[in-house]
Amino acid sequence: MAINNITQMNSTLKNYGVDNWSKTIELNNKMDFRGSMPDVNEGSSTQSFGDFLASSIAKVNGLQQDADTAMQRLASGESKNLHETLLAVERADIAFKQMNQIRMKVIDAYKEIMKMQV
Amino acid sequence: MDLLKSMKISASGLRANLKRTEAINSNIANAQTTRTAEGGPYRPKKVVFGSEPARESFGEILEGEIDAQAQTVHATEVINSDKPPVLKYEPNHPDANDQGYVAYPDINVMVEMADLLTAQRAYEANLKSMQITKGMAQKALELGK
Amino acid sequence: MDVNDKTLQALSAATKFREMRQEIISSNIANKDVPGYKAKRLDFEAALARALDVDGQMGMKAEDGKHFNVGNGGFNNLQPEVYDDPNGVVSEDGNTVDVQEEMAMMAENKIMYDALVQLMNKKLGLMKYTINSER
Repeated sequence: MAINNITQMNSTLKNYGVDNWSKTIELNNKMDFRGSMPDVNEGSSTQSFGDFLASSIAKVNGLQQDADTAMQRLASGESKNLHETLLAVERADIAFKQMNQIRMKVIDAYKEIMKMQV
Repeated sequence: MDLLKSMKISASGLRANLKRTEAINSNIANAQTTRTAEGGPYRPKKVVFGSEPARESFGEILEGEIDAQAQTVHATEVINSDKPPVLKYEPNHPDANDQGYVAYPDINVMVEMADLLTAQRAYEANLKSMQITKGMAQKALELGK
Repeated sequence: MDVNDKTLQALSAATKFREMRQEIISSNIANKDVPGYKAKRLDFEAALARALDVDGQMGMKAEDGKHFNVGNGGFNNLQPEVYDDPNGVVSEDGNTVDVQEEMAMMAENKIMYDALVQLMNKKLGLMKYTINSER
């Protein structure tokens, strides 16, 4: 709007607040993505590390039990699937060894922290 | 222990088939023999097989029903076949009798060769069985390595 | 992971039965030319499955206090079943052994035996690894 004299300028300034002048606020209002984002890992963001560890250990245990069941099935002749049994056993093996490595790392980290002098 | 007994059983099979091969070889070699130490033409040999429950000691006889089921094999008898000899008319043969006939053993070499093949197959089957038993024992030795 | 756990016992029992089966097959092959010999078979799968009771469905519960609990027992008293093969083709001298079938059964038995030994090794190896890992 064209400003022709000081009176008009004063009235214009009074009628329009800072918000109307400032473009960033407008852009901010338009660019709020938070509402449109999909809910990814809604649950894990509230899970503590301890819970996460516990559920991982339970998964490893589950794999071990699957391997045990597969071996028992093979021994009793119920299943003739050699490759499936060996695969289940390998998976459980790898999961267990991985967990063991993590355990060692955690213990190492703990020791590092305890070594720090306050 | 079960595996060692398996090997004994396979070994008995090998031995029996070897005996059979010997008898067949003797028959083939003597197919034309008209003169023997006992007089008369050669008598064809035949091997009779028999089964016997596989046992190692008296103590075992008292225990374990399962042991009674696996049988070793024996070449129990080598008998002389009592098939009558074949008479051929050869008046000039030194062993000819009064009518000019010579008594030859009733051996058909083709039949003996077929029997030889059977014996060979049986020998190979027993050998394979023994090899597999040995493989199983060796695999068991690897436990815990 | 217990040294006496069910899986190891099952694997060990299955290995023992497969050795027995090898004995019976050797016997069949050795006696394949004996007149009147009937081919034998050895079955252990049903007994082992019952002892394992993998799904928890095969046990029989004792209702009366005086009855004994049957099934899910130990692996020590398992007996295999040995019987004459009912489907054997009788040849003219009374022998029912088919060498090809016996060889095929022997091959399968060997493969499964090797697999069982390997699985036992894996389980024992995992236990040893746990013991040996430091820290």
